[in-house]
Amino acid sequence: MSLKDKYVIAGVGLTKIGKIPGVSNMSFTLEAMKIAIEDAGLTRDDVDGALVINPVRLGEQHGWGARVAALMELSTTFTNTMDIGGATPIAMIQTAAMAIDAGMCNVVVCAFGNQNNPQGVHMTLPNLEFTMPYGDIGAIPFQAHIARNHMHKYGLTSRQLGEIAVTFRKHACLTPHAQMRPKGPFTIEDHQNSRMVIEPLHLLDVCVNTDGGGAVVVTSAERAKDLKHPPVYIMGMGQSHSSEMVPPWPEKTEHRGGTKASEMAFHMAGVTHKDIDVAQLYDGFTILVINELENFGFCKLGEGGSFVEGGRLGLDGELPSNTAGGLMSEGHLMGMGHVVEAVRQLRGQCGERQVKDAEICFVNGYGGAPHEYPPTLSYSTLILRR
Amino acid sequence: MFEKPVPLPTEDSAPFWKACREHELRMQRCNNCGHVRFPPSVLCPKCTSLEATWDKLSGRGEIFTFIIVHQTYHPAFDEDMPYNVAMVRLEEGPGFHSNIVECKNEDLYCGMPVELVFEDRTEEISLPKFRPRSS
Repeated sequence: MSLKDKYVIAGVGLTKIGKIPGVSNMSFTLEAMKIAIEDAGLTRDDVDGALVINPVRLGEQHGWGARVAALMELSTTFTNTMDIGGATPIAMIQTAAMAIDAGMCNVVVCAFGNQNNPQGVHMTLPNLEFTMPYGDIGAIPFQAHIARNHMHKYGLTSRQLGEIAVTFRKHACLTPHAQMRPKGPFTIEDHQNSRMVIEPLHLLDVCVNTDGGGAVVVTSAERAKDLKHPPVYIMGMGQSHSSEMVPPWPEKTEHRGGTKASEMAFHMAGVTHKDIDVAQLYDGFTILVINELENFGFCKLGEGGSFVEGGRLGLDGELPSNTAGGLMSEGHLMGMGHVVEAVRQLRGQCGERQVKDAEICFVNGYGGAPHEYPPTLSYSTLILRR
Repeated sequence: MFEKPVPLPTEDSAPFWKACREHELRMQRCNNCGHVRFPPSVLCPKCTSLEATWDKLSGRGEIFTFIIVHQTYHPAFDEDMPYNVAMVRLEEGPGFHSNIVECKNEDLYCGMPVELVFEDRTEEISLPKFRPRSS
């Protein structure tokens, strides 16, 4: 039976985010959990499930979820440490709903915390033996390959990518907690003049690095009836996983690995693209937004570039997107910020950046192992409503 | 000075790198359905057969995509910047990350025909690279 509207996000929380040395992964995770639980109007004693993302820099750490839970003395009947990269926050929410539905627990906190420092640890070689010796290192090269392919195949331009970065920065400037707000807005010319990082991507095509934490509380619609805020309902959700760029996947999916994840969410929710009032799209790189708009059916294949022109993703546009600035300008919490912002928009808590009458929000995560070989991509989706 | 990273062959990839040392590009061809796969894997992703032969490939392919790196994340590559990385589609099907040598970055394009050339890196490791070919 469909889980549509049976489970909700009852609480959300973000710690301070930005460049914040001296605070550990664990501290950010715990603080975010505390904020989210209090935001829900619940206490620690109400929570019996915990899902966390393994902080990447910790290496092998068994039972991270249970350890986080123990430090808050949560009496849990369900914990896990999850990892499909930037698709994890949404996958955690999906898993929480399924676990509650299965009778494993009643209230699940899903959390993430990240401390980037100390930087400068070189990646070690295992699994990277087919990319790193060629100087194809880190997250950006793969996205640059995707951008090159789109430009070659469909005529996407760098200025069109710039439209996305400019729009999201504009939104961040209306978001008090956004990491890049102090830097102010920029223009497409600024984007074009920013230095090349990995051609064809400029510096302003790339997201920021962020220290901080985020968490959400998932429970049943029934349990959420008398809580602090009106619940935000999970209408639809989906996932899909592929390798897209590397043969034989181009023939198999036409580089559209995320299509299935979106179709599942829309099917379950019983709504169409026209019903989406606001979107939070995973924007580690501007090119990702283009591919997602196409993958998820907001525009036709190859038309993402023209779709984003003319402020369509702006607050007054047809599809207001990444209303707090996204990974590009709000901060990079592996997409947890996207979910938090979605909930705040649907609650009408967003002040100057509030999308009027926002009732339904589309959110997606993107991750997997794009810098391993073969580069593997995971998409996760949610359709939320108030 | 930082040394450029060299591959550390695994149980799965050792036959690949051993062939490279002999300046041969070999990948697993499925004994059941004939599909050539990469990266090395115990089973065929098409038909899941466990039987395969390390076949010598033609070394011919074309550029699927390419990028120019202006900022890198390993200091050993700093002296090479800006350098290219291309995803090459081999004639036999698989994709392969590599560098295009004997060619200016400005002259690269998607679809460019390329051919294999080996770069000896250490006593054990030779890296497959590619250069433009006339046809």
